Amino acid sequence: MQELASNLMNITTLLGASGGESLFTYQESSGGPGWLGLIPVLPAIAALICLLLLFLARKGMASGKSRGPAYLVLGFLALSFILTLSGFLMWNGQGKPAWIVTLFDWINITWNSGDGEQSLIANFGFYFDGLSFLWMLFVTFLGSMICLYASEYMSGDKGYARFFAAFGLFVASMSCLVLGDNLVMLYLGWEGVGLCSYMLIGYFYTKPEAVAAAKKAFIVNRIGDLGLALGLYLIYTTFGTVQYDELFRAVAERTDAAGSPLDFATMWQSWAIPCLLMIGAFGKSAQFPLYVWLPDAMEGPTPVSALIHAATMVTAGVYMIARMFPLFLMDPDLHALHAVAWIGTFTALLAATIGMAQFDIKRIMAYSTVSQLGYMFAGLGFLTTTGGAYHVFTHAFFKATLFLACGAVMHGFAGQLDLRKLSGLWSQPGWRITSVAMLVGCINLAGLPLTAGYFSKDMILAEAFYTPDSLIHFSGLMGWILLFTAGLTAYYTFRVFFRVFVGPEHYEPGDEAYDHDSDETGEESHHPVEEHGDHHADHFHPHPPGWAINLVLSVLAIGSILAAIPYFVSDGNDKSKGWVGDMLYSSSAFYKSPAGHADKHGNETAVLVPADPVVLPASFADEPAAAGAAKGKVPAADAWPVRDQVEAGSILGMDPHKAMYYISAVFGLIGILIAAYLHGPKGPAGLFIGNRTQAATSRADALLPKLGPLPRWAQNKWYVDEFYEATIRLPLWVFANIFHAIDKLLIDGALVDGISSLPKAFARSIRPLQSGVLHSYAAGMAAGLGIILLVVWVFSL
Amino acid sequence: MTIASLAQDTIAAGMPLAELYHYLFVAGVLFGLGVIGFLARRNLIIMFLCTEMMFQAAGITLIAFSKYHFNPDGEVFVIFVLTIAAAEAALALALVVLLFRRKETLDASAWAMLKG
Amino acid sequence: MDLLINPVILYVGLAIGALGVLLALPRERVNPQLIGLILAAGGFGAVIIALALRGLDAAGLPNPHYYIFAPIAILSAIRVVTHQQPVYSALYFILTILASSALYLLMGAEFMAFALIIIYAGAILITYLFVIMLATQAPSETEVGALSPYDALAREPLWATIMGFAIVAVLTGMIAQGLPEIRPAGNETDQQMLLAELPGKVLDDLDAKRVFREMERPETEAIGDLYTIDAASRTMTLAVTPEAAGDLLERAEAEDRQVAKLLIGDGTTLADLRAASGAGGSVRLAVAPEVRVTNLDTVGWSLIAGHPLALEIAGVILLMAMLGAVVLARKQIEIGEDEKLARAAELGIHTGPTDQMDSVSGGGASS
Repeated sequence: MQELASNLMNITTLLGASGGESLFTYQESSGGPGWLGLIPVLPAIAALICLLLLFLARKGMASGKSRGPAYLVLGFLALSFILTLSGFLMWNGQGKPAWIVTLFDWINITWNSGDGEQSLIANFGFYFDGLSFLWMLFVTFLGSMICLYASEYMSGDKGYARFFAAFGLFVASMSCLVLGDNLVMLYLGWEGVGLCSYMLIGYFYTKPEAVAAAKKAFIVNRIGDLGLALGLYLIYTTFGTVQYDELFRAVAERTDAAGSPLDFATMWQSWAIPCLLMIGAFGKSAQFPLYVWLPDAMEGPTPVSALIHAATMVTAGVYMIARMFPLFLMDPDLHALHAVAWIGTFTALLAATIGMAQFDIKRIMAYSTVSQLGYMFAGLGFLTTTGGAYHVFTHAFFKATLFLACGAVMHGFAGQLDLRKLSGLWSQPGWRITSVAMLVGCINLAGLPLTAGYFSKDMILAEAFYTPDSLIHFSGLMGWILLFTAGLTAYYTFRVFFRVFVGPEHYEPGDEAYDHDSDETGEESHHPVEEHGDHHADHFHPHPPGWAINLVLSVLAIGSILAAIPYFVSDGNDKSKGWVGDMLYSSSAFYKSPAGHADKHGNETAVLVPADPVVLPASFADEPAAAGAAKGKVPAADAWPVRDQVEAGSILGMDPHKAMYYISAVFGLIGILIAAYLHGPKGPAGLFIGNRTQAATSRADALLPKLGPLPRWAQNKWYVDEFYEATIRLPLWVFANIFHAIDKLLIDGALVDGISSLPKAFARSIRPLQSGVLHSYAAGMAAGLGIILLVVWVFSL
Repeated sequence: MTIASLAQDTIAAGMPLAELYHYLFVAGVLFGLGVIGFLARRNLIIMFLCTEMMFQAAGITLIAFSKYHFNPDGEVFVIFVLTIAAAEAALALALVVLLFRRKETLDASAWAMLKG
Repeated sequence: MDLLINPVILYVGLAIGALGVLLALPRERVNPQLIGLILAAGGFGAVIIALALRGLDAAGLPNPHYYIFAPIAILSAIRVVTHQQPVYSALYFILTILASSALYLLMGAEFMAFALIIIYAGAILITYLFVIMLATQAPSETEVGALSPYDALAREPLWATIMGFAIVAVLTGMIAQGLPEIRPAGNETDQQMLLAELPGKVLDDLDAKRVFREMERPETEAIGDLYTIDAASRTMTLAVTPEAAGDLLERAEAEDRQVAKLLIGDGTTLADLRAASGAGGSVRLAVAPEVRVTNLDTVGWSLIAGHPLALEIAGVILLMAMLGAVVLARKQIEIGEDEKLARAAELGIHTGPTDQMDSVSGGGASS
């Protein structure tokens, strides 16, 4: 307790941020309670125990059918969540310096190079600040929820323990990524989640598509990871440290770790580092051009899709950019953030258009994930880390809800996911909770007013218009594109809902063998349909979700609705950003936009704390970066020299923060109405404008031919995969074959085999000499003797 | 003339070069005949006899040079040659008996598959 | 260059000899063994005659018996190689051995000569004969005198002959040319220096001449203490007691000629003897000229004093060869376990469980 108390007292005041000089305020971190280190360790232990169970099951010492592994992992994850929550509550009132908890020394090298002492310190330590707490809260909570869901969903599948071992390891890796107190830990977690996603996507390893998808995910991620690795290396060579603490101090003081000053405005690293990090984020977070792996990753079990590809892993890129935001601000021209904004916007639009044309509901959700990730990246690009992080937060809830609802449908209808073959689930027995959860997810995704998705999306959209054009060029244009995309999102989201969940009751089962049903016992067996031999296609009965799935769906649906609350709750200095803004306030992700902020009530707030960390890239400062004369004495007003020069953006002449509520609501509603008109059934379920009576057909079918080839192209994902196939894979394949032929013919054939054939041929030529006939050996000896004598004689002459 | 006096005469006189060459010639011819026999005959036993003949040639040469140089080591070497010849004959003949039991032939080329 | 033999005669003679051997080698159909033998004899004879002529010039003729035994050795060697019957080959080889042992004798190596006869002709060749008889197929009823094909036919006689005589030609030519360069490294006198190491020989001679008639003969091992032998001056210095000296004095004065000759002939005077008989001292005796180091002495000395390790190794080799021969030649007889047990029971060997013995020994150990 003594130690804890001293830790708590060891809270340092904000270090002297120096107005225009500093990119952000470096805040010294302090030690935190040691038990927080258990948060990433617990899932890892669970994974190890699962492996042990797997081993025992193979030896026949434990049942492969038991749900033990699931509940084990669930327990550990829940404990991890509770630890996170209690850690967060303890931390919350502490003036918010970051806590560092070091488990053990991992890499700790110091050596003497020519120019003095250098070191590489990357300990197994964890960094707790608002950003990492925010992430960890939803990662562990959703991880626990999805684990519970999976305990039912995966039951009966072979490799149950294997699944949960990978699941636990995944959460451990994600925690390591988020919590690591240095870049090496981040990279460790980064690769760990990549590996686990490979294992989980390829969970059905006998299915060729799943294996291909797993490989695709892994290989595409490698491209991004290369960027990240290079970025980390460049950070190390530039700043001489990989520890967040020292790195952020160095960035704030514009020095490297050893204290030599750096001139961010002129050095090439200031744009190279963010660009490389950005490539890494694109890979992990499925942004164009590296997004192609995510839709294919739907081959994995649905809980995997929900966990990895909606809630956690794909947000790693967003987290990384947010965490490294000070480095992104080093570049006076913000090249990398421009790219992030544009790529995010483009990805959002592209994925939305593809999603509109798909028929596989899980795939539609996958594209919507890519699209929503595009929003988050655009938010980061518009300098609103708060918006990006808040959208991550809300999206994690509602997208998990959507995926899990889709998974329940898939589970119940033998793998059927085609929206043309399912209809009217709302009124089928046992599907009400799923349908309601789906509706909640859909209204969030569509951005229906007053939902969490609506607020988080608005934050990004408003910021797009609000950010001055001189900071992020054409941000307004991107804002309009994103608004249009919001309409598309509402359309394709409700297309799924109107087709599958309302309307005439109809279903065709999928072709997935339901072998495991016959093995199930316990809670499943009360369903009247669960009789042996009852699962042929002609007597198919849907298989409504059990208590675990329903419970999870309910909790997540409620969570999705409640995710709107943080928008209104704030006890921080800048109430316009809500609770998430508070969370990010003292973290490295904090960024205060240059112009004054209107809060959500439309009142201009000019709240500027004296030592406000907010800052601008150096080029916007009045004085040169090096000028330190006014250091520490800059009045608040002077800290924002830009304010007088840069006009805050507007939308249609209105303040974006106020107007966006209405504009985005309009776009969302239009999208929903179009969906209802084209796909909705007759009656109130179709908002009185739909007329669909069949599962397979709708008004849209008549409309499609008029659009020319566009729907077909969109359905074929704009041929991006084919384009990659032709431009990247094919040339590589050709090269590989050429090199293979060279290897076979020249290296193997001519050089290796050729050289080896010389002694072979020689041996073949003299092999007859070994006849086994004693006389020929004797003759050889005699001839040799004669020759030796002759030589001796001749030389003695 | 007794045998002892034959030997005694030689010792007293020492051995002239031309005389040495007489003995070396005989040794050389014996050796050559041994080689010929080893190469030309097929019977394993005769082949071994021919090797013994070559030993014999070596023995004559050794003794001739021993006498020429007044060095008794040459004669001692002949003792060792005899030892080895005896050992070789014992083993070789045992092998021949063994081989003959297997194949009922003494033809050396019948065992050509021993090359492995 | 001082050649020992005219190369033309040498090579022509060898060529004729080779032709003869070639003709004599066993072959199908025509097999002019006699012609071949005569040709070979002529060829080798010509070379030997040329050598003899050359030896006459250089005063280097061997003992005349050489001209008897050398042709016997060569001709019988040819018969060894060419005879179709293995038994005859072996017998001819014995003849070769006998002839070459005669040559040893002519060279003065009488020990090796007799050893050769005993070991080679007596032991090894008899073994050969046994094996030949053991390992020859029993002739069938119809063909009593039939030869095995591998005895009746030579294998590549032409090439074998060419190769063999090429070696002979190179060897003889080389020796003929190189031999004059080799000078004798020692002489008779050097060999006699060995006498100093052979006291027993001298003492035996003195004993035979009854020099030690009244006194104790010195031990052979006592050389250096009681007497020393000087091989160069062929004298022996003997330590004597006053009594022995007096005895010797008496006998010398009594005109015992032998003793007087031995003593006085080599500088020990009567005055010396008198002095010695008074106080005791040494006398010098001449070693008789017939006491000489023989071939047997030198070989024996060289073998035991010079090559003891090699001698031991030779013994081990012989032992191993004997063991090997026994192991190799014994017949493999498969005996079943039951038979072994039965046989063991017959012999009274206890092979069964030894409970009783164990309990007894266990009890002993515990107490």
